[in-house]
Amino acid sequence: MRYMLIHAADPDLAANWDDEAQAAFADWIEETIRTRVNLQGARLRPTADATTVKIRDGELIITDGPFVETKEQVAGYDLLECASLDEAVRWAGRHPSSWVGAIEVRALPERAPAEPLPEPGEGKIQYLMLVCTDPAVDAREFDRIEPVDPWVADTDGRGIRLYGSELEPPDSARTVRVRDSRVIVTDGPFAETKEQIAGFDVLECADLDEAIEVARRHPMARLGVLEVRPFWPFEED
Amino acid sequence: MADAFRQEWGRITAALIHQTGDWDLAEECAQDAFAQALRRWPRDGVPNRPGAWLMTVARNAAIDRLRRSSTYRAKVEELAVMATRETGTDSREPDADDGAVPDERLRLIFTCCHPALAMEARVALTLRTLTGLSTAEIARAFLVPEATMAKRLVRAKHKIANARIPYRVPPADALPERMPGVLAVLYLVFNEGYSASAGENLIRRDLCDQAVALAQVLAELLPGEPEPKGLLALMLFQRSRQTARVNDRGDLVTLEDQDRARWDQVQISLARRHLEEALAARRPGQYQIQAAIAGCHAAAPTAQATDWPKIARLYQYLADLTGSPVIELNRAVAVAMADGPAAGLAILRRLEAGDALAGYYLLPATRADFLRRLGRNEEAASAYEEAAALAGTGPERRFLNARLAEVRSRGQQRG
Repeated sequence: MRYMLIHAADPDLAANWDDEAQAAFADWIEETIRTRVNLQGARLRPTADATTVKIRDGELIITDGPFVETKEQVAGYDLLECASLDEAVRWAGRHPSSWVGAIEVRALPERAPAEPLPEPGEGKIQYLMLVCTDPAVDAREFDRIEPVDPWVADTDGRGIRLYGSELEPPDSARTVRVRDSRVIVTDGPFAETKEQIAGFDVLECADLDEAIEVARRHPMARLGVLEVRPFWPFEED
Repeated sequence: MADAFRQEWGRITAALIHQTGDWDLAEECAQDAFAQALRRWPRDGVPNRPGAWLMTVARNAAIDRLRRSSTYRAKVEELAVMATRETGTDSREPDADDGAVPDERLRLIFTCCHPALAMEARVALTLRTLTGLSTAEIARAFLVPEATMAKRLVRAKHKIANARIPYRVPPADALPERMPGVLAVLYLVFNEGYSASAGENLIRRDLCDQAVALAQVLAELLPGEPEPKGLLALMLFQRSRQTARVNDRGDLVTLEDQDRARWDQVQISLARRHLEEALAARRPGQYQIQAAIAGCHAAAPTAQATDWPKIARLYQYLADLTGSPVIELNRAVAVAMADGPAAGLAILRRLEAGDALAGYYLLPATRADFLRRLGRNEEAASAYEEAAALAGTGPERRFLNARLAEVRSRGQQRG
């Protein structure tokens, strides 16, 4: 079964990311890849580089910033293949980002196979698009939500969407933090906000305008909020 | 020399950003060129084509800096090729004929005003790259510490690079969606300057002129678009009233009480011309309509002569277009003038039923005014109290308290 590890970094703990953490991170990546546990993953640019997209009353609204302001901020993700949620949580507990923030572990529905991502094409940039709920939207509106398949087929077909999936609901998540060497696992998502991540897609585009064009056509643009966050390749700093 | 600077700064920065893709480099080289001009022109005289001179020097500076960084060799060649193509010569001499330098400012304005940037970032970046104001000057203009403004600018440039905001004019089909964002930035800058009181620093008051200059550039570079002209007209109509707006004590003077002899008729004629050109395109928009409303006021030789029914109709048009509750509030004011305060109150009641304008002092202030004019002094008094409590700055609060005192004394007179 597949699980998403959502790494949420706490800026106040950033100083804890020392050489030991860096080494532990390299080891974790190497081990999870070698054991074929790690299917995919990426570091993301910080929330200051995020852009949200939504459509309300037929009007496209683009805003600077993440879909919700939280203390711990999404900084990256991994997709793991594990036998159970418990196993995924154990892996999360060994990832050093749990020392400097939280790792939310969320299951992907069975129907979503995952693969490693290719390098971006010439002149292209990759983004993570977080599909999020908006508590201000009336729940009854969801009865009329359009299916997402046409959007998926279109973006897949054009090579814009590399991968994506719904996620199991936030209350099914487990969140892992390590403080003073103690692993603390809590039920639920990393942030107690009404706004939550419902799914994600990985996009490859020429620029942000293209990513926005793609995001606005997603059915959740009208009923939720889409956050477009650029990947942060490890070669670039 | 100051005007030449303002124009050319934006042109040069825009061209260099386009050619090198490096915003910081572009700024530094523009700075170098202007510094050189300040040294050489007083000594050697201002060149025939100051713009071309500055552009050449700036570009040479860019080539020199890039050359020192080996990874940019390809960029250097590109720059040199472009220079050759434009001048037809290989010369690096500033006085060599530098023909027509393409105006890249449109790309720059749209990129600086991209909706993915926070509003304050758009404002800062637009002013920094297009007007030549220094970071310190922009900080003073917006009443923030220089370090804060510097950080804001750095953040904005990082976001452009990291999120890959494209450096371009949006394609024609996206222009209607992107234009309001640009115009909003310019209008915000204008209003910051317009609302600055006489006691505030010169840079802040100068923001009006900067905004007008930028609106002019936009209107020139997009001749087929009516809204930039509409915005320009609106700004000129407003600025024409600047000296009449505030009395010697620094108090706000309402439109109806202003000495219209102090209104600048030159700006008013200019505004009218721009508005007529805009309306000829038959594509109305919110700035054209707001300009038309401002034009109605400008056309009235006295407050009593104001064509309120026409203004009320224009506000209806604007309200339908924007769905904005603030516009609806302004419409209520116009309707009250055209049809009496009771008609205005009816519109206010509908507005107050929603909470779009909760906390907005002008809502109770307007209600207070209507009630006052209807002689309903007690109700007017409590509305003025409500408004004064919400009002921010000195002049507005003083004005409301004065009105409050007035209706209280009237109430007492009636016994």
